[in-house]
Amino acid sequence: MAFKFTPRKKFCRFCADKNLPLDYKHPEVLQDFVTERGKIIARRITGTCAKHQRKLTREIKRSRQMALMYYSAVHSTTVKKKTI
Amino acid sequence: MPNKYETLILFSPDLTTEDRQQIMDRLSGVVSQYDGQVLEVDDWGMKELAYGVNKYHRGRYVRLEYGSEGDAVAELERRIRIAEGILKFITVKLEDDIQLVQEA
Repeated sequence: MAFKFTPRKKFCRFCADKNLPLDYKHPEVLQDFVTERGKIIARRITGTCAKHQRKLTREIKRSRQMALMYYSAVHSTTVKKKTI
Repeated sequence: MPNKYETLILFSPDLTTEDRQQIMDRLSGVVSQYDGQVLEVDDWGMKELAYGVNKYHRGRYVRLEYGSEGDAVAELERRIRIAEGILKFITVKLEDDIQLVQEA
């Protein structure tokens, strides 16, 4: 039998867990959906549904506005500390 | 009908507790002036900022939740812009048309 790679089925984390807060006040949740450089990850990668991805994008941007998340790693305080 | 809003304010770390309290009292005053009602004041404490703001790397977040008409928000934001020591703020509408509980 030839080996065939079947990727794990992706699912929307916000649909699966209704209690998972999707909110700019919870940057620790949003952090999973951005790269280490701070870019928002496409939903074809994360598997988030369209409805939640729209909300997610909005909340990440609010979070950035309030300095809860960084816009880019260049400006980040934590990343800077690690490199020094 | 009033709506439910929340305003998250980021205070400069240089501000003393009294200064901060004074600003918060004044902002709460604006809400009640416009026949609104402060529902919750939530102090997150001192937090590390994700990026430097005006050379500060720490700040104190305070969340103000209130029910009021939209014109109160405009006035509140105007006051926030005038107040010293506020680095950032954001206002989000949480709910439309809420019923304010009458205080006896």
